[in-house]
Amino acid sequence: MTLNIPPPDILLQLSLNGALGGAMYGVAAVGLSLVFGTMRLIFLAQGAMIILAAYFVRALFYGLGIDPFLSLLIVVPVGLGVGWLVYQGLFRRAAAEADRNISLLIAVGLMFLIQNLMTVVWGGNTAAVVTSYTASGIEILGVRTSFTRSMGFLIALAGTGLVVLFLRSTLVGKAVRAASEDMEAATLMGISPHRVNAIAFAIGIALAGAAGVAVATTFPFNPFAGFIFSLKALVALALGGIGNVAGALAGGIILGLIEAYVQYFISGGWTNAIAYGVFLAVLMFKPEGLFSRPYKKA
Amino acid sequence: MLKQALPQRAWTAIAIVAVIALALVPLLPGAVDSYAFSFLFFVFLYAIMAQGWNLVAGFGGQISLGNHAFFGLGAYTTAILWTGNYLWGSLYDSHPDIYYFDPVTMTLGGLVAAVAAIIIGLPLLSKLRGDYFALGTLGFGEIVKVMFINGGDFTGGAFGVVAPAGTFDTLLPHYLVGLGLMAGVGVAIRLLMRSRYGLALIAVRDDEMAASANGIDVLKVKVSAFAGSAFIAGVAGSLYTYYIFHVGPDSVFDLDWMLLPLMMTVVGGTGTLLGPILGALVMYAVFDLAKIVVPDYHPVISGLTIILAMLFLPKGLMRSFAGRARAA
Repeated sequence: MTLNIPPPDILLQLSLNGALGGAMYGVAAVGLSLVFGTMRLIFLAQGAMIILAAYFVRALFYGLGIDPFLSLLIVVPVGLGVGWLVYQGLFRRAAAEADRNISLLIAVGLMFLIQNLMTVVWGGNTAAVVTSYTASGIEILGVRTSFTRSMGFLIALAGTGLVVLFLRSTLVGKAVRAASEDMEAATLMGISPHRVNAIAFAIGIALAGAAGVAVATTFPFNPFAGFIFSLKALVALALGGIGNVAGALAGGIILGLIEAYVQYFISGGWTNAIAYGVFLAVLMFKPEGLFSRPYKKA
Repeated sequence: MLKQALPQRAWTAIAIVAVIALALVPLLPGAVDSYAFSFLFFVFLYAIMAQGWNLVAGFGGQISLGNHAFFGLGAYTTAILWTGNYLWGSLYDSHPDIYYFDPVTMTLGGLVAAVAAIIIGLPLLSKLRGDYFALGTLGFGEIVKVMFINGGDFTGGAFGVVAPAGTFDTLLPHYLVGLGLMAGVGVAIRLLMRSRYGLALIAVRDDEMAASANGIDVLKVKVSAFAGSAFIAGVAGSLYTYYIFHVGPDSVFDLDWMLLPLMMTVVGGTGTLLGPILGALVMYAVFDLAKIVVPDYHPVISGLTIILAMLFLPKGLMRSFAGRARAA
């Protein structure tokens, strides 16, 4: 293998595209991080939720003519409601059980259900949202990149920012953080576990909605595309450190960069293996994540 | 739900009678060509996989999300040894069926998986516990899959390896070997769980620190349970190769080979001996029935069934039957 050092503008282009794409993994990872933090649940259905949101955005666009980015105003509140309902209806009882396999399996069942309902309703073919500005590009740092990818990045940044703000400066947010660190102690302080779990779920699904908007405008998608998104989000989560919300976004961006470089320097076929290899290496050597302060979790 | 727990001996008797009855099924006229026969073969296959997952997760408490990788490793090992142009082509060309249900090939399928489990298990289990182990094994499964897709001629790339399907004659050997493996794995796990090792495994699951304080080598116990689980999955993969003949990355590394056995175990009863078998029978029957009755919606039904089973039967069928939790 000959390693050619590419000219700086190509390097910049690679980095930019990688970072912009990776932010989408990041925003999915933030949702996973919240749910994992309070419930210790690997919510494998997150990716399916993102694709469901993407189909919803597509239906709003082609059915009612609502601009995909404008539909954030609908998708995010709906996501909050759906997340709350999903927790109350499906996970509330399982959350009380010591056996966490049960929650994991409900998530898996939900993933199957959503994937296949989408197939029944919209068919299994690849779908896309094509707007007047889908093909247009903008210039950042002298490098041209797609407008929709940049918007996706902004959505990810804004979503993560809002979540961080919520966790830092509201009382409910602090309760969620306390529960993530030690549910038992938090419960003794009068924090209701069901309430924080439901809030984490609501925000997690709302973020899936936001990610759905970004995915719908950027990539073609199909009902089964969600699972790989869940896996990538898990990688981003591990890179950033479980329980570290801003770290999850950064982890996603790093993953996007790794993928872009591997694709350019090695080959597209190895992208996933190397991404998961990095994931395993981080789990083995730095399980608290790349950015975390020394901090012990159960 | 029976309030009165059936004694252990009654369960043993039921299991022995069931195995003997199932072994006699092929003698019935027309049975071998019936649909029920292939249905039972798949129940055995899933029951073996479920039992393997139950060993590391149910008895050992380490949630592995990578058992589909071990299944695939066993399947590929068998297919590559069988067609083995790279290793000893001449033998295959002259005797294409010499590897068909060859016990050595099947054992090697299990061993390759077990070695992979030790290689990945040592670093993962010594540093990580609980959820991180689950995440790590999930990542491992994806890595193995990509490695086989990129394995060039050796693994047949994205298409995979095609074994000589001409050797297939009847489903009878699949059925009997499947039944034998299911029964054998059941007996082996029962003996194991009554040995010192089994007690150590349960001690590690229930309280790692207390187990360690009592002189149990926690890492060794965990890694060996993981390797045992992988061995069982690898042998199951080997058996599947003799059924499917075309071993491809998307078919044998499919996540379903991990998720379905996991689900069957939990529905049947995690950490019970007969739970995985009962779960495999019940869940596979539900899926198969859905496939026949509502073919367009059957994955929807499967998803719903999992959710409903978890909401209303979270402790599993076995424990609901037996009335109380039982370790083995």
